[in-house]
Amino acid sequence: MLDTGDQAPSLSLTRIDGEPFSFLTGPQTQSRLLVFFETDCPTCRLAIPYINRLSRELGEAGDILGISQDPEQPTRELIAEAPIEFAVALDRDLSVTKVYDPVAVPTLFLIGNDGRIIQTLSGFDKRALNEIASALAGKALVIAEPFDGAPDTKYGCVSRHLEGDVSGEIADAANPYAKRGARASRIELDDSVDPFDYCMQFGDPLPVIPPTVERVERMLDACPLPPDEVIALIPPNYGAATVEKIAANAVMAGCKPEIMRVLIPLVRAVCDERFNIHGVQATTHFAAPLVIVNGPIRRELGFASASNVFSNVARANSTLGRALQLILTNLGGARPGEIDMSTLGNAGKFSYCIAENEEENPWEPLHVEMGFKPEQSSVTLFAGESPHGVSEHSARDGTQILKAISRALATVWSYRVCAGVEAIVVLCPEHVKTLYREGFSKEAVREHLFLNTGIPLRHFEDGSGEGTQYIKLYNQVTIDGEPCYLKFQDASAIKIIVAGGTAGKFSAVIGSWAAGPRGSQMVTYPIAD
Amino acid sequence: MPITLVNPLDETHRPPATAAPRLDSLAGKIIGLLDISKPGGNIFLDHLERLLKQRYGVAAVVRAMKPTFTKPAPDSVIAKFIDAKCDAVIEALAD
Repeated sequence: MLDTGDQAPSLSLTRIDGEPFSFLTGPQTQSRLLVFFETDCPTCRLAIPYINRLSRELGEAGDILGISQDPEQPTRELIAEAPIEFAVALDRDLSVTKVYDPVAVPTLFLIGNDGRIIQTLSGFDKRALNEIASALAGKALVIAEPFDGAPDTKYGCVSRHLEGDVSGEIADAANPYAKRGARASRIELDDSVDPFDYCMQFGDPLPVIPPTVERVERMLDACPLPPDEVIALIPPNYGAATVEKIAANAVMAGCKPEIMRVLIPLVRAVCDERFNIHGVQATTHFAAPLVIVNGPIRRELGFASASNVFSNVARANSTLGRALQLILTNLGGARPGEIDMSTLGNAGKFSYCIAENEEENPWEPLHVEMGFKPEQSSVTLFAGESPHGVSEHSARDGTQILKAISRALATVWSYRVCAGVEAIVVLCPEHVKTLYREGFSKEAVREHLFLNTGIPLRHFEDGSGEGTQYIKLYNQVTIDGEPCYLKFQDASAIKIIVAGGTAGKFSAVIGSWAAGPRGSQMVTYPIAD
Repeated sequence: MPITLVNPLDETHRPPATAAPRLDSLAGKIIGLLDISKPGGNIFLDHLERLLKQRYGVAAVVRAMKPTFTKPAPDSVIAKFIDAKCDAVIEALAD
């Protein structure tokens, strides 16, 4: 692949709109940007809106050329569908591709006035996109904001000229990028059928509200999006979650129409590939997606964050969590006993939704820690087990409270597994008060838990059992005079929230599923006003 | 009074796919073994590879490993089997 400092080879292509696009090697009249892409590459699709934004910012002065490695028809379809707002040319015989030799798509080549390549970017990277945008604009320019729901970075796909021979029978799959889906079919029930009985086939084994056309219409009226818009494809079957299908499941779960405001970003979030719902749904582990709601929406829609927060206390919590589960089962296809063969399951698969008790949290709440403004409502997803209670009513100081919590943290996943796991610590208001009074910041709590949660080395002496095979990855520490392996690889594996009622010194620990890029990562999405 | 429901289930159209033809014999064939990267998978597959070669006369065994068991195999892993022109692939679960 051509690199920074190389002379950009001359290029002559005809744009898809018929205009010629060419330049010779050597000094140029202006800087320009070449964007190699494929029409079926998810990372290219991810990058296009940002390059559109750059194109708009630069206006007439901009010189951006998209170079498609695919034939005319799919390229035209992508231009219309994405849409692509900058000029595009076809590299019909991949001759330009072979000269520039990108390893992946998308690859961006920024070519300066002197005809040399100033910067390259393979794949998706917000920071590099902003650098390229600023270089082209001649001033600081941000085209890729953090926390806009897209990942900071994402690998691209192999460039067409480097692909192996993959000819063979490939199923004619549904277009995974279609933004509009089919309307839901209608089911007529005559008087001889009890609609509640009929609907027992939909989702969890508890009765649901029959999703009548009228009820679904009321739900759709509360949502500004068209009913056939596809919000996401739900793994593992990749069923299309149109707004209408989401609304029908929300009705069944007992949601009020205004919950659609939260449910739409929640469906986007659960399908964020970092969260890896495919794995979460298909694992035999206990994990279920835990929804954590933050910000003003909690009060606006009546989410409970205080006593009984994990249970049967508020319609908003119970129905939002249930709606998500019904959507995952009915549209994603992970039915218990079929695709979802979890060994023991988790009561949270009926509904697992809490709100943070920000009023009792003297520190910054979760969404602010994730980079959002306090007044920006958000939903966070964490693939978690059921909460494990930590009772500590006798401790005289905060350190003793943290000691009790750290002993519970040590058992997450399995006590000798000290890598690839995370946990949420749910601090109850009474414990938080003690910690805050003693001057603990949230970071200090996290650091203290990190450094004091460990498994004594003596437990590894027999050399067998889950976790013992990974000890090369583990870090040693001394806790209370005893040599231990640190339970977590990094302090950031410990997430801290405040929730629960003001009476009772009961906190909780929620263990993760396989965590990190090789498993599931926590995601936070903004809720639009 | 009759009522009309909005179908809440997945109705995505999926063209039917046919299963690959079965092999009559393993003798002389190229067999792919996919390790999904769970602990112990290599032990099982090592044993299987020996059996395939010694007992069934398999011509060659091609091994590939998923980067993580939690996600579907990336194209690069599947391409390894296609490039090697495997006649069949065995995927192993372990734990």
